[in-house]
Amino acid sequence: MDNLKEIIEALIFISVEPLTAEKMKEVLTDVPEPDIAQALQELVTRYESADGAIRIIQTAGGYVFSTKPAYDPYVRRLLQIERKKKLSSQALETLSAVAYHQPVTQSEISAIRSVDSTYALHTLLENKLIKIVGRKEAPGRPLLYRTTEKFLTYFGLNAIEDLPSEEELRKLMQEENS
Amino acid sequence: MIATEIESTSTPGPEAGYQVKLQVFEGPLDLLLFLIKKKKIDIRDIPIAVITREYLDYLSRKERLNLDREAEFLLMAALLIHIKSQMLLPREQPLEPDIDPRKELVDRLVDFQKIKAASTLLREKEDEMSHIWKRTVLTAPLPEEDLDLIEVSLFDLAESFFTLMKRKQSENQRVIKGKEISMADKMNEIVAVLRARGVLDFLDYLDAQETLEEALISFFCLLELIKARLIVAIQEQLFHTIKVWPRKDAAPA
Repeated sequence: MDNLKEIIEALIFISVEPLTAEKMKEVLTDVPEPDIAQALQELVTRYESADGAIRIIQTAGGYVFSTKPAYDPYVRRLLQIERKKKLSSQALETLSAVAYHQPVTQSEISAIRSVDSTYALHTLLENKLIKIVGRKEAPGRPLLYRTTEKFLTYFGLNAIEDLPSEEELRKLMQEENS
Repeated sequence: MIATEIESTSTPGPEAGYQVKLQVFEGPLDLLLFLIKKKKIDIRDIPIAVITREYLDYLSRKERLNLDREAEFLLMAALLIHIKSQMLLPREQPLEPDIDPRKELVDRLVDFQKIKAASTLLREKEDEMSHIWKRTVLTAPLPEEDLDLIEVSLFDLAESFFTLMKRKQSENQRVIKGKEISMADKMNEIVAVLRARGVLDFLDYLDAQETLEEALISFFCLLELIKARLIVAIQEQLFHTIKVWPRKDAAPA
């Protein structure tokens, strides 16, 4: 197919949520998988190296259009947003603890942080960055929390494996200690 | 939470001026890590006596802390003293490294340090992402031109609220352990929800509150926010549900 790249471009364009490779395969049934992957890669590179304001980012297991950082001030002006809301340091710390220990209970998180984390978890639940996935088979059957797909998109991660690795963390800790 | 002034630097520069950096300790582990770093102590070999003294000094220097948090800080102080006493107890054989009474604390500290490092890296990613926009972020803004909108009066709001109260009451809920909710927290929550979603269904929101008390407070907060002209309550058509929007001309908080 000559215009495979353009077809994929159209599919991503109309998708508001990240479009997964599986979905593309469903549409392009007669195209071999490696061809799709290659066309995708070329498409991403093309946008990245072009002068335009748009790029394709890979996030939460799919592909989606986004603006390039240089246009942030203008977009915000249009949307009348002074500044994107950031997570509080408490919420972020709690979220990191969930991300690295999931599935995890409230009391486990509180123990890791040595601070009661009920409120922070509540905020994160409300922002849909974490979700309840069940109960732990332990006394009291406490709720278990996991990070969501929105968590991945929020931080621009493609999968949970893309979280900073043990090595990266250790490097940072050493830098801070010295 | 306790805050201390770590450094106040007057950075030279045209617009920098005088800067005061505040270090906030979220919890006891945070404070311990700070003291360990300050004293340049090896985390694997903490002189418990030294660090305990520093820690207690620190606590006593601070005046009244938030009581909840104080308990957490004191618990750690107790743990430190406990570890120290374990190490002082006479033993027939010297301690083996794997039954070092400090081990559990060190493990917790290392794990916490890891989480802090992860937070730092995630914060960087959050920052990167904050300059990137996807098409999803466009939530429906407040329809301005639509003249059919009816800005509702206090009585309309109160009426829907009483309907809800009746409904809630009939649920025959019992609160076993009340939780304290402050107006300020609730207002922040409402503003945050509005920022995220752009619009909020008045009744649904109150209905989603866990307890009657929380619903009541939410109601007062909504009134307060309307009074402060930060949000506006609108009924799209007669007998339709009342919706709450952030006011466009409101000063960004």
